[in-house]
Amino acid sequence: MVHQKENWVKILLSFTGSCRGKLGLSVFFAVFSVAGGFIPFWAVYQILRLFIEKNADLNAVLIWCLIGTAGYFIRIVFFGISTILAHISAYTILDNIRSEIADRLMQASLGEVMGRRIGSLKNMIVDKVEEIEPPLAHMIPELTSNLLLPVAIFIWMLCLDWRMGLAVVIAPLLSMIPMGFLMRNFNSQYAAYMDANNRVNSIIVEYIEGIEVVKAFNQSTSSYEKFAEAVQSFKDFTLAWFQGTWKTMNLMTAIMPTTLLGVLPVGLLLAQSGSLSPTELAMCVILSLSIVGPLMKAITFINEAKSMEYAVEAANELLHLPVLSDSGKEIQLTNTDISLEDVTFSYDGTPENQVLHHIHLFMPQGSFTALTGPSGSGKSTVARLISRFWDVTGGFVSIGGKNVKELSIRQLSELISFVTQDNFLFDCSLKENIRLGNPNATDEEVYAAAKAASCDEFISRLEKGYDTSAGDAGKRLSGGEKQRIAIARAILKNAPIVILDEATAFTDPENEDKIQKSIMALSKGKTLLVIAHRLSTIQNADQIVVLDKGKIVDCGKQAELLDRCALYKSMWEAHIGARNWSVGEGKEVVRNV
Amino acid sequence: MFKTMKRIIRWAGKYQKRLWLGAVFSFFSSFMTAVPTMTAAYALDQAIQAYWRNSRIENTLIWQSLWIIVFSIAFNFLFSYLKAVLQESIGYEVASGQRIHLGDILKRVPLGYFSRNNVGEILTGVTTELSTLELQGMKMVDVIINGYAKFIAILLCFIWFSPAAAFISAAGVILSALALSGISKNSERTAGVTHKSMEAMSSAAIEYIRGLPIVKSFGQEGVSIERFHEASRALKDIHIKIEKGYTPFNCLHLFALKLASMGIVLVCAWQTLQGQISLAYFLMFVLFSFVLFGSVETINEASHTLGVIDSAMDKLESLENVKYIDEDGSDIRPDSCDIVFENVSFGYEAHSTVLKDLNFTIPQNTTTAIVGPSGSGKSTLCNLIARFYDVNSGKITLGGRDLREFTCDSLLKNISMVFQNVYLFRDTIRNNIKFGSPDATEAEIVAAAKAACCHDFIMALPQGYDTIVGESGSSLSGGEKQRISIARAMLKNAPIVILDEATASIDPENEHLIQEAISALTHGKTIIIIAHRLATIEKADQILVIDGGTVAQKGTHEELLRQEGTYRKFIAIREKAEGWRI
Repeated sequence: MVHQKENWVKILLSFTGSCRGKLGLSVFFAVFSVAGGFIPFWAVYQILRLFIEKNADLNAVLIWCLIGTAGYFIRIVFFGISTILAHISAYTILDNIRSEIADRLMQASLGEVMGRRIGSLKNMIVDKVEEIEPPLAHMIPELTSNLLLPVAIFIWMLCLDWRMGLAVVIAPLLSMIPMGFLMRNFNSQYAAYMDANNRVNSIIVEYIEGIEVVKAFNQSTSSYEKFAEAVQSFKDFTLAWFQGTWKTMNLMTAIMPTTLLGVLPVGLLLAQSGSLSPTELAMCVILSLSIVGPLMKAITFINEAKSMEYAVEAANELLHLPVLSDSGKEIQLTNTDISLEDVTFSYDGTPENQVLHHIHLFMPQGSFTALTGPSGSGKSTVARLISRFWDVTGGFVSIGGKNVKELSIRQLSELISFVTQDNFLFDCSLKENIRLGNPNATDEEVYAAAKAASCDEFISRLEKGYDTSAGDAGKRLSGGEKQRIAIARAILKNAPIVILDEATAFTDPENEDKIQKSIMALSKGKTLLVIAHRLSTIQNADQIVVLDKGKIVDCGKQAELLDRCALYKSMWEAHIGARNWSVGEGKEVVRNV
Repeated sequence: MFKTMKRIIRWAGKYQKRLWLGAVFSFFSSFMTAVPTMTAAYALDQAIQAYWRNSRIENTLIWQSLWIIVFSIAFNFLFSYLKAVLQESIGYEVASGQRIHLGDILKRVPLGYFSRNNVGEILTGVTTELSTLELQGMKMVDVIINGYAKFIAILLCFIWFSPAAAFISAAGVILSALALSGISKNSERTAGVTHKSMEAMSSAAIEYIRGLPIVKSFGQEGVSIERFHEASRALKDIHIKIEKGYTPFNCLHLFALKLASMGIVLVCAWQTLQGQISLAYFLMFVLFSFVLFGSVETINEASHTLGVIDSAMDKLESLENVKYIDEDGSDIRPDSCDIVFENVSFGYEAHSTVLKDLNFTIPQNTTTAIVGPSGSGKSTLCNLIARFYDVNSGKITLGGRDLREFTCDSLLKNISMVFQNVYLFRDTIRNNIKFGSPDATEAEIVAAAKAACCHDFIMALPQGYDTIVGESGSSLSGGEKQRISIARAMLKNAPIVILDEATASIDPENEHLIQEAISALTHGKTIIIIAHRLATIEKADQILVIDGGTVAQKGTHEELLRQEGTYRKFIAIREKAEGWRI
């Protein structure tokens, strides 16, 4: 993204899509509105002319006043229409951006998405994108008209007398000098400001998220130095920046709108020499006054455009998440052997940051493989590479002899049930939550799956049973119960490969036997890959793979490993020891199991 | 609008004087912007007179007008600069004070506040919306005060020369104000709707992201994306509908002002024809009619921002008005660490009780294990001891004093907590540990880290104690984070230790280290532990079996095993589970 930074306006325009016509119309009406806005000036000029030529009468004045009013009417009505069209366009653009981000998240590799905090993703999709709207909707009609009007007036005055045309731009040109100073480091300062602002806000977010810890440990806010320091430095930074801009900023705003600075003396000079009539002079004065408002407004858009740019670029980053390639091909598989051949992997694709080195692993159809090893050894990464959360950096992963990249993403997802400790339920009924595993399943099949996962008893305890919405039930279901619903979903899916990634970690002890039962129901006759902490749960595996620092240290049955693998042996002993430890004493008692 | 403005002024607090003084300069500055127009009217009149007399325009007139305009620019700059100096920093200074203050408030409100109120909403209140207030608050006050001040000044000027013109301009402003009030009524009505669809959008987005792994692995992309699209479309439709309601009023408001300015031209022209005012004044009024209502238009634009500011102030105010949980507390040093529950009942919401009529004593320097099924209220019980919530009835005493007599600070001085959900700040490991005791020396921090079995893995990190937690490349495992949180608790060295024993995702070899760490932490302390492991429970001095919000059983392991009841069943399941096989 950094290499080919697209212009943000272009990005924005690429989202206009279906509303391009409306957007065009909006600009068109804005131009009309500007044109209508000239009429009152013309009318007042006519009135002044009548007075200067000394043939004014009430009737003529009245007619010109009515014409002027009609001009205002045209201006405002078209402005209104343009505004509404602009808003429709703007909101459509927001909708398009959001949808596009959502699609992109779906297509991106899961690893990429899950590496981000949900809160910040939501913030980008909802809040950041929303920020684009006000400047966008207002800029379309207003910026067009506010830029067009001065330009049109400049041309008009050039036509009256080229010297007046030049005189009117004297003040705006002069104001470019302080503006140049102002803009000199505007971009970098603005970026620094945004950084400081984000920092202070993210620290507040952190503070609230960790409020239990803050309460339990912190004697006073000021002692949380980071908080106070961030608040203070944000204030110091912004004040320093703003103070630096006050002089130039105010000088600019004092000069720019004072178009009379050039127009009046030059106009008088020309009138003195007779090349400009008093009526024309009056006209010039009126016209130069009419520029003031639009010019001032155009200035305010500088800041707004900047904030919009930031929001668009934030969205754009999500829109360029790397996408997982999809072959789209269904391939007939003869078996579901899983094989990893010379697999290496690093999150950023560089060899320095490799987390898996040259992994060779074969899991025959119907076998039970367990992965274990110290934290950070790469267990989960191996499991995730099989279901393509990411693509391998080197080597390849195959199922049934076919490289997983050759299978369509849909086929791959049909092959694998991936159960994690994340037991998220969707905000629909429990029945539908289970049915997600297989949308074509009948109610009976759903109930059967729920029974197999030992969900039946607690679901039937709920008043509305299977029709209870997960949102309502959510508060009353324990982690273990939610876990079993997730397992029921996987049972219903009935995929030939089952991967359990630390699936049993957060369960309550008293539910453990039920979870065990439901996992047995899920994995019967399947190719099973389990990542577990409690070594006792995997001691019967066909093969236990011991990983350390991204390498396979050893692989074999439990008895073999205890015999020859020092790491496994020490882990096993630690595990046994841990189970027999107690608080009061602090000594471990090794017992037989 | 004025209400919001008053609130902003009140918000400015001790800076009010500067705010007002700034407004005065702001008025001078806008007077200066009117000077060139008056000069033009005067010069134009002179030029016309000369034209009628067929004489030449005086050179002095040209020079005069040039100099007057140059000076007006200079003074305009001076006054607006002074205004900026006085006014513009106020927002930042107040907001920074308020952020610190809010941090303090948030710490002293009951935890229930965060679950009762949408945390997301509190967050936007204290982040985004406070930022808006900071950035825009003073500008808005200036726009409004100055807008009206300018208008009134011109109006007074009109009354002097042409009461009719004054009347018309007043009528125009009143008419536009009516339209404005239509806008604000409209936006009040729609604020709720917008807010709701924004919320719907947020929750749809969160659900979409949360569910992404699941729908992907089940190939069900359609279901959840449809919901997301729906929420996004609904939000769009609502927004557009609101805009359609808003725009006519806005046009009406603008048109009222334009009508008035045309009316002024008409009236003044008529009066000039009648010979009531001179041509010079007529010229001035006509020129001013174009800019006269500019300030009123800006006010209208401000009303949008004011709405946002108003809701931000609502949130901040409601936050500041939350009752501190320890409002009536005093600094107490308990004589002992005996904890006694007397008839304690508690529920997070009025109608549901989580804990019912609890009675038990935790004597000083003993270990109490709390066991029970999930959702039975174990963690709630611990939260009550730390006074994250207040009991609904009955009382909890520490060293014979009711917890409610303490301030939070004086109570929590005695308590160290290790939470089940480890929370570490995105800060260095050192600062995370130091959080337990801000005055700790480096040596003390390292000692705590060593005791909690963290030192070795910390030193193995490239940046050691300066490693930032949670940044890419330093992803600590669950067990390592847990041990850091234990080091933090250890550094605090409080006489009471509350442990929500994590059954969580801990690697076998870490589990062992964590338990060593906990032993170091709990040595010679009063310990309350939510226990999952059999061994932990067996060695406790006292076991409380919580079931259905009450103390179902109480006693030592041996005593309870002899009784029929929850505990025996629990142990049986537990033992079976330990021998888990696939």
